[in-house]
Amino acid sequence: MRQPPSGHEKLKVGFNMKIIAKEDFNNFVNALINNNSFNVIGVKAKRDKFTFAPIDSAQELRLDYDVTLLPPKKYFFPQRETLFTYDLAGGFSAKGQAAEPKRMVIIGVHPYDIVALLHMDEIFRETKSDPYYFEKRDSSVIIGVNIQKMSKWNFSPYMGTATTEYGYDIMLTDLGNRYAINVGSEKGQELLDKYAKNVTSALARDIQLVGQKKREIMQLTQQKFDFPTELIPELLRKNYEESSFWERHSEPCLACGSCVLVCPTCYCFDVKDNPDLTLASGERIRTWDGCLLEDFAKVASGENFRSTRPTRYRHRYFKKGKYLYDRFGFISCVGCGRCGSNCLPNIANPVDLFNDMYHNTIGTVTAGAEPEVQIQTNESINYVPKLATIIKKQAMTHMETLLEIKLDDGSDLGHKPGQFVEISVFGVGEAPISVSSPPTKKGSFELCVRKLGSVTTKLHTLKEGDKVGIRGPFGNGFDAEFLKRKDLLFIAGGLGMAPLRSLFNYVLDNRKDYGRVTLLYGCKEPRELLFSDEMIALASREDVDFKPTVNWCPENETWTGNIGVITTLIPQVDFDPDKTYAIVVGPPVMYKFVLHDLRERKVPDDHIIVSLERRMKCGVGKCGHCQMNEIYVCKDGPVFNYSKIKGLPEAL
Amino acid sequence: MKPKVAFFDFAGCEGDQLQIANLEEDILTLLGQVEIVAFREVMKEHSDNYDIAFIEGSCTRLQDEDRLKQIRKNAKLVVAIGSCATIGGINSLKNYRDSDDVRRTVYGDQARLFDTYAARPIDAVIPVDAYVHGCPMTKDEFLLVVKSLLLGKKPDIPNYPVCVECKKNENICAFERGQYCVGTVTRAGCNSCCVNEGTICWGCRGLVDNPNENSHKEVLIRYGQTVDDAIAKFRLYFGWQEAKR
Repeated sequence: MRQPPSGHEKLKVGFNMKIIAKEDFNNFVNALINNNSFNVIGVKAKRDKFTFAPIDSAQELRLDYDVTLLPPKKYFFPQRETLFTYDLAGGFSAKGQAAEPKRMVIIGVHPYDIVALLHMDEIFRETKSDPYYFEKRDSSVIIGVNIQKMSKWNFSPYMGTATTEYGYDIMLTDLGNRYAINVGSEKGQELLDKYAKNVTSALARDIQLVGQKKREIMQLTQQKFDFPTELIPELLRKNYEESSFWERHSEPCLACGSCVLVCPTCYCFDVKDNPDLTLASGERIRTWDGCLLEDFAKVASGENFRSTRPTRYRHRYFKKGKYLYDRFGFISCVGCGRCGSNCLPNIANPVDLFNDMYHNTIGTVTAGAEPEVQIQTNESINYVPKLATIIKKQAMTHMETLLEIKLDDGSDLGHKPGQFVEISVFGVGEAPISVSSPPTKKGSFELCVRKLGSVTTKLHTLKEGDKVGIRGPFGNGFDAEFLKRKDLLFIAGGLGMAPLRSLFNYVLDNRKDYGRVTLLYGCKEPRELLFSDEMIALASREDVDFKPTVNWCPENETWTGNIGVITTLIPQVDFDPDKTYAIVVGPPVMYKFVLHDLRERKVPDDHIIVSLERRMKCGVGKCGHCQMNEIYVCKDGPVFNYSKIKGLPEAL
Repeated sequence: MKPKVAFFDFAGCEGDQLQIANLEEDILTLLGQVEIVAFREVMKEHSDNYDIAFIEGSCTRLQDEDRLKQIRKNAKLVVAIGSCATIGGINSLKNYRDSDDVRRTVYGDQARLFDTYAARPIDAVIPVDAYVHGCPMTKDEFLLVVKSLLLGKKPDIPNYPVCVECKKNENICAFERGQYCVGTVTRAGCNSCCVNEGTICWGCRGLVDNPNENSHKEVLIRYGQTVDDAIAKFRLYFGWQEAKR
C-alpha cells in the first residue's frame, strides 16, 4: 500500500548515518534554543503523560516517551487559527494571517506522526493548497526519534509506520550514550552543520545496531490485527450496509469527538466570525471540528445529513479506511492508537473494530484494485473574501429576497450556471448560496436568499449599498455546453428554482442552441412562488412548456394552475426519454419521488442531473462538512449526474 | 439608538451579575453599544422600558411567575444568565428532597410563611431567546452572546461535550487521573476551564441536546463508581433536566 512520500526523497539508509554523543546533542538543542530565530518545540512530560510544547532547555526533553496527548499537527493546523482580521471602519480592510516570525524546530516526532504529517500535506495540498498550513509546514524542521517505548494502543507496525525512511529532516535513534543520526533533507544537514559539534560518521556496528533497533520496534506492539491491513478498504466496502454491526459498535458512543480530535490525520474544521465588542472589527477563525460530533453535517435549514450515532461512527472508519484511500491511495490511519486510548466507552480502537468486522464477514475478502490516484494542485486557497456591494434588493416572498451584487474591484464573477459563492456578512459569518443569474448577465450577479440561519437572516436586513464579502464561484456547475441540442426537462421544487434559474435563463438566452425546453416548478402555496414576474412571462412563450404547481392554495388566494405535489406534473408532459435530459433541483425529500417517476417514464439514469445541498463551510474541499460518502459536494458537485451518485447511500 | 438592557435576579447568588460588574474596561466599550436601564447590583435608577432583559436565578415560587411574565412582556429579547436561570442549576437539588423538610431547613420556624415550589429554569416559565450558561457564567461568554444579539445572529453555543475542549487543551482525562467527571455529557463552551485547572467537570452548563446518559453511567461504574454516586453526580446540576427527560 502506498504511503505518501510527498516529494520527500527516499534515503539510502545508513549511507550517511552520523553519530552524536547525547551531551553534544543536548548542546545542539540548547544552541538552537539560545538562537533567537528558532521556536524550539520538544516532547515534554505532563504529569505521567507527554506533550509537544516549547522547551527552555534540552534537559526537558523526554525522547523516551510512548505517545503524546496530541500529535504535532497542532503546530501546522492549530486548534484555533485566525484566517484574517477585518475592519469595517473607513470602508473595509481585511488582513490575512501574519507570517510566523520564527522557524519551528520540532524535536522528538515518532515515525507514525511523521507519516501522519505527510498525509496531512497531501490532504491540504489537493486541488487547492492551504496557505496557512504550508507556510508553517514548509519553514519548520522535523527532528524525529525512533520509538523506544510503545503505547499499549499503538499498532503502527501493522500500518507500515512504526519506522520511516522519509518525511523528516533529521531522525534520531537512541544508542545508549549516543544518538545515531539519519539526515533526511538539506535543511536538516544545514542545521547540524551550523549548530552541532562533534558529529562523527557512524561505524559499521552502529549501522547494524540501528537496523536491529528498528526490527525490535516491530515487536513492541501489544495490538494484533487478525488479517492483513491491506484488506481494510475492501472489508469496509463489504460491510457498509451491515447496520446491526454499526449499531452494536456505536451504541455506547458519547459523540464526544475525542477519537477524532486526537487523531494525527483528522483535518476537518469549522469557520466562524469573532467580532470585537465595537462590532466594527473582528476576525474570522477556523477551529478543529470532528465528524463524530452531533451537528457536524447539520445545515441551516435544520436538516442533519448524519443525524444518528451509527452513521457518524461508520463515517469515521470509512473516511480513514475507504474514502481517503480511494482518493489518495493510502489508509489515512498511522496506528498511533490515540483514538483507542482516549475513548472512555472503549469503542474507538480500530484494531478491535476491524478484527470483529473481519470475523463477521461472510466469504473471503481479497484486496480490491489499487485506486487510480490523480492529485492535482492548482492555486492556493484564498480565505479572504472580495468586497462587494448589494446594488439591488428585491423581496420575492415572505422568506426569500433577491440580492443583486457587484464586486467592488469591477471584475465579473465569471461563474458557470449551478455554481455557488460563499457570501460573508462580517461579524456574523459566511454561508454558501447558489448563483441565480445566468453567466450571460455581466457586471453583477444575483443571489436568491432564503431566511434560514444567522447569515441569511442578517442578509435580509441589509440595504442597497451595504457591503458583503464574496468568495468563489465554487463547485462544478452545470455543463451547459454538453446540454446543447438536447431536449431539456427542468424540474424545480421550492428554493431549488434559485440554482436552476442560472441554467434555465442561460438556456433561454441561447434558446436556439437547445432542443425542447420544459419547466416544471412546484412550491407549497402560491405566495411562495419565486421569480413570479418571470414565470408570468414564461406562460406566454411558445418555445417553453411551463407548468407550475402548488401543493395547496389557501382560500383567500387565487391559483389557476395545477394543484398537487411536483410529481403530479410529470404525467402531464410529453417527452422522448432518450433525447431528454432532466435537470432536477429541490429539497432533499423531493428527489426520491421525482427520480422514481422519471425512471418509470424510462429516462435513463445518466440523463438525470441533480444539484445537492450540504453544509459547505470552506467551499474548497478541505473542511470536511459537505462530504457524502467519498464525495465532497462543494468541489465534486454540487451538480451530479444521477448515474454517478446513485450508488452513494448518503447522496439522496 | 442603543438598545436598552435590564438585569433581573431570582433565586440565585447573583454571581453572574457580579461577572458583569467585573467586566472592567470592557464595560465602557459595552456601554458604547447598549444603555443599561436597570441593574440593582450596581445602580439605583430603574426603568421598565427595555429591549433586552438578562435574568439570573431560577424560579422557585409561583408568585415569581407573574414577575417573569411581566419581564417577557416588556422585553424584545430575554436572556437567561447562569446555571440557575438556564438549567435550574444547583437549586434543583432540592427538588429531590421533601419540600417541607427543605423549607424548615432554610427558614426554620418561619417556614410556613415561605411558599416555594420545585426550582426550575426560566424557560420552564417563559420563552427564552438566548442562554449564557455556566456557574458562574464567564465574562467572555456573556460578551459573545451580547455581540451576537446586537448583530442579529444566533449565539454560537456548542452542542458537543466538554471532552472536545479538554482534547484541544491537551488535558489529561479526569478519569485517567482517578477522578470522575461529567464532561462527557455536559455542553462545552467553557473551554474546559475546570479540568484545565486539574479538577473535574461538574456539569454546570447542563446536558448537550442528546447526551448518551446510559453510556456515561456505564463509564462511571466501570471506573469504580456506584449507581448512587453516578446519580448524585448527575443531580448536582442536571436535576431539572433529568426530571424532564
